[in-house]
Amino acid sequence: MEEWKPNPAVKPHKKRSWYLAWKYKLMNQRALRKLCQTGAVLFLLVTVIVNIKLILDTRRAAYEEEEESAQDYDDEMLNVEVPRHPVNNKKVLDVEVYSSRSKVYVAVDGTTVLEDEAREQGRGIHVIVLNQATGHVMAKRVFDTYSPHEDEAMVLFLNMVARGRILIFTIKDEGSFHLKETAKNVLKSLGSQVAPFLSWRDMWTFVGKKGGEVYGEKHAKSPALSTWGDPVLLKTEVHLTSVEDAECHWPDTELNRRRKRFCSKVEGYGSVCSCKDPTPIEFNPDPLKDNKVFDVPVAVIAGNRPNYLYRMLRSLLSAQGVNPQMITVFIDGYYEEPMDVVELFGLSGIQHTPISIKNARVSQHYKASLTATFNLFPDAKFAVVLEEDLDISVDFFSFLSQSIHLLEEDDSLYCISAWNDQGYEHTAEDPSLLYRVETMPGLGWVLRKSLYKDELEPKWPTPEKLWDWDMWMRMPEQRKGRECIIPDISRSYHFGIVGLNMNGYFHEAYFKKHKFNTVPNVQLKNVESLRKDNYETEIHRLLGEAEVLDHSKNPCEDSFVPDTEGKVYVMFIRMEQEADFTTWTQLAKCLHIWDLDVRGNHKGLWRLFRKKNHFLVVGVPASPYSSKKPSSVTPIYMQPPAKEEGAVAVPAVAAAEQT
Amino acid sequence: MQKINRNVVLALLSLTSLVFLLFQLCYYKFYLSQKNGAAFSKVRGSQSGQDSTRWHVVRKFLGLISSHNIPVYLIDPLILGLVGKDIEQIRSSPDGPSPECKYFCAPRDFTTFALLDKTWKHDVGLFRAAEKMGFQWLKIINKDPRLDGMDDLSGMEIPLHYIFKLASHAIHLVVFYERSGNFLWHGPLRLKQHMDRKFVPFRKLHFGRYPGAYEKPELLLVSIDDLKVQIPKNPSIFLEEMSHSRFLECRYREARAFFQLYPDDASLDAVEFRKKAKSLLHLAALTLNNLGVTFWLSSGTCLGWYRQCNVIPHSKDVDLGIFIRDYKADIIPAFQKAGLPLKHKFGKVEDSLELSFQGEDDVKLDIFFFYEENDHMWNGGTQAKSGKKFKYLFPKFTLCWTEFVELKVHVPCETLQYVEANYGPEWKVPVKTWDWKSSPFNVQDNGVWPIDEWDNVIQIY
Repeated sequence: MEEWKPNPAVKPHKKRSWYLAWKYKLMNQRALRKLCQTGAVLFLLVTVIVNIKLILDTRRAAYEEEEESAQDYDDEMLNVEVPRHPVNNKKVLDVEVYSSRSKVYVAVDGTTVLEDEAREQGRGIHVIVLNQATGHVMAKRVFDTYSPHEDEAMVLFLNMVARGRILIFTIKDEGSFHLKETAKNVLKSLGSQVAPFLSWRDMWTFVGKKGGEVYGEKHAKSPALSTWGDPVLLKTEVHLTSVEDAECHWPDTELNRRRKRFCSKVEGYGSVCSCKDPTPIEFNPDPLKDNKVFDVPVAVIAGNRPNYLYRMLRSLLSAQGVNPQMITVFIDGYYEEPMDVVELFGLSGIQHTPISIKNARVSQHYKASLTATFNLFPDAKFAVVLEEDLDISVDFFSFLSQSIHLLEEDDSLYCISAWNDQGYEHTAEDPSLLYRVETMPGLGWVLRKSLYKDELEPKWPTPEKLWDWDMWMRMPEQRKGRECIIPDISRSYHFGIVGLNMNGYFHEAYFKKHKFNTVPNVQLKNVESLRKDNYETEIHRLLGEAEVLDHSKNPCEDSFVPDTEGKVYVMFIRMEQEADFTTWTQLAKCLHIWDLDVRGNHKGLWRLFRKKNHFLVVGVPASPYSSKKPSSVTPIYMQPPAKEEGAVAVPAVAAAEQT
Repeated sequence: MQKINRNVVLALLSLTSLVFLLFQLCYYKFYLSQKNGAAFSKVRGSQSGQDSTRWHVVRKFLGLISSHNIPVYLIDPLILGLVGKDIEQIRSSPDGPSPECKYFCAPRDFTTFALLDKTWKHDVGLFRAAEKMGFQWLKIINKDPRLDGMDDLSGMEIPLHYIFKLASHAIHLVVFYERSGNFLWHGPLRLKQHMDRKFVPFRKLHFGRYPGAYEKPELLLVSIDDLKVQIPKNPSIFLEEMSHSRFLECRYREARAFFQLYPDDASLDAVEFRKKAKSLLHLAALTLNNLGVTFWLSSGTCLGWYRQCNVIPHSKDVDLGIFIRDYKADIIPAFQKAGLPLKHKFGKVEDSLELSFQGEDDVKLDIFFFYEENDHMWNGGTQAKSGKKFKYLFPKFTLCWTEFVELKVHVPCETLQYVEANYGPEWKVPVKTWDWKSSPFNVQDNGVWPIDEWDNVIQIY
């Protein structure tokens, strides 16, 4: 550019006079003059051309850059947002409800919102809750009121539904056998005229507003015990109200915004959506002093049991020392409602496309969740693994904070678990006491990253293997003789009644009476004694101190243990080799503790409490502690019942503990 | 007549040239000054004294984030460049008032800050407060790469970048995430369709064209231009790191497709080999990083990363590449100290150098040294028994970071060309029988070592 500088300084007319002077001066040197003129013309032409070129070049360069950068920053994937459905301004909904022996369905404005014609499934009363302003389905439940206690669950649910919501009921197959008076009265109070007289195999449909008008009811009586009532089809219209009427007017805060979003979508969570005095969704429990698990990620493994997840997260977020930022909820499947629950509490949730079926599906979900947890928290050395059907003790994190260093330092440990398989109301006593056990209890436990990354993840059962992940983890190939640390009184409580391997009867028999710690800030006793070698010293000390019980008595009887408190007793049972649990299983049965497989043992020794006394059971001669048996004592032998049906039942239900 | 004509023509031409010159000047002012904002407007800045708008915007922003307890740190390359020059002075007087606005008033369109994701709570209140202060903001979210490698998980999208705009200045907040391999990662900035492309001149951003990988920085709280702000403890090292921070994500989707076609080997042997290869790679990376030697995944290990995001279980060794200019004599003793004895050494520094170390059990660590020519790179091979030399040619490549078996390592950015050069167009098909002298696509005979050199260039232990 420099060479053009002289030019602009000179104005055209000036240039001309300068040119003229120059012309006169060179008048006589025509040749030279001509040359100069031609030179000037050429120079000017070149200037023009160069200028044009420059402009074109910069233009193009600028344009290209624009293009390029625009591409650079464009998302390669066209994330076209799906337009939302236009707001339905219709004031009236057409509702169709069908009830019959083998099929039920509900259609709202022509859209089927419920259809169930599967065989041997979905028996009982189906309930659907609609938003009275939008007509959206807010909850869908089925209560098998043919079976006991389901009517109580239904009453609980109906009580939780906010006033003004639209309720739709329909019966599939049978819904009256265990429909008790209380439930019938609740249905009556909703405006049903038929409910109090519902009987065996009647068909029934009902649509009404909670605390308001009845939109329709139809009923078909069963003519005889062996036959069902005729199918009934109810068609009716429901008048919608305005959105303002359907919503609560909570103060406008971030929390309430979350609450509002949640409450306008789903129903059946009771006071969290109450307009007056809603229950809090943020808990701010006391922080823990010197919390060693504050930075440990917590993976909550969930399926499609949003009510369970709601209860679980409430208890988890209320536990002292919880760090909500470390919690991730892994949902097996693309279910909306569990995700709504996760968002209500402001946590992060991840959905997982189900792989495989049944137990293998759960197992694959576990693997994906654990891998994702360690990916998301690459610094973590451990992960806490929880399930959606657990209550979490208030001192759960305190318990882990006091014991986690053991898992870090003691290679002979496999896990720390919050659950004591044998910790029932009548067999657990001391919240500060810990055990070492050879079985992995699960149900709220801590996994070491190195164990997962180096050992478990690479050989995790593949989807086609229909294995339970926890049974697999308990196999000797995986456990390699390592043990888990558990508390005497569990820091988690398994409340799930519905589940893959779970039903009401099973739950009542094995889980309902489990002891659960509710004392905050329990100081654990002598944690160092849980190290591998220290523990042996501790056991020997205990056995040395223990009083040998009278082996002539029946160990199942209460009188077997004297009416004392705080003493240590020991009994010896027959155990021919390491895997001989014949007598133990019978003893476990009569003590009403876990007897479906062997749990809670440590080298042929079981520790529990009876009548507030520490009660040790040693298997002789397989246990190394057999030497403590006085020679005068004959180990007790208990014979399994003659009918060997137990043996068949065990494999089927052994897995049931994890759901 | 002719004379007049000529004069007129001359005058006209002068006029046009003048007009063009004026036009050019304007062009420079409007286009080029925009492009090289720094260089050109710096002059302007010094003429008009300090431009305090930028300083005010930065001050407001720092106030906003400190009131929400969000720890950010400055990563703006322009400012860090200036700060880097005066670092001693800034360190020594952390609280002294500064006489003039030297750094935050420097002309630029953005000020860039970094935020560590795990140190804040995704508080929505921040944005409300920002709006109240007059900021307009834009959030760029995308898929979480830490879940990308997993089958069928769909997490929530994560925020990668935030831009806060006030008046004529904008704050670019880059969100850094911790990744397996103990490093920090930031995502690319990609606009979705409905986004305002004109919100800020995106192409001028210093971060976001590519994803990047960084070491966790040590931070230093300093006071510059009367603003308290955290900066990387050593700005010049940070800037150096930034200049080659480009990160490549593994091609997880393609890897999944690969495993659909060729199911993964889940045998105990494969599991064991992968475990050993992983720990060997970790050990090698530690050793070389300590020496400050840049290396990358080469040959089979690179193919494993590119094709299946994992170690190929039947590959039986771990392969690394190092530029010969980075060769250090300490490499061999360092590996020996780390418990990896030298197995063989072929070639010499001037030609076809190749080192092999014996890892645990039968797993071998091969290090190939790469020689750079004008239009290609190559590494050499030697057959021990015959003294034959081989040459493997590669197109020129640069290095990018990636995450592999919980490690931050380099791979050639132009991975496809690299892999194709080495394995040919059929690289997607697993081959179990592999002969290093004939199977590679890019192998060439390269003569024979002279016999008298054999003792030096063929060393087997």
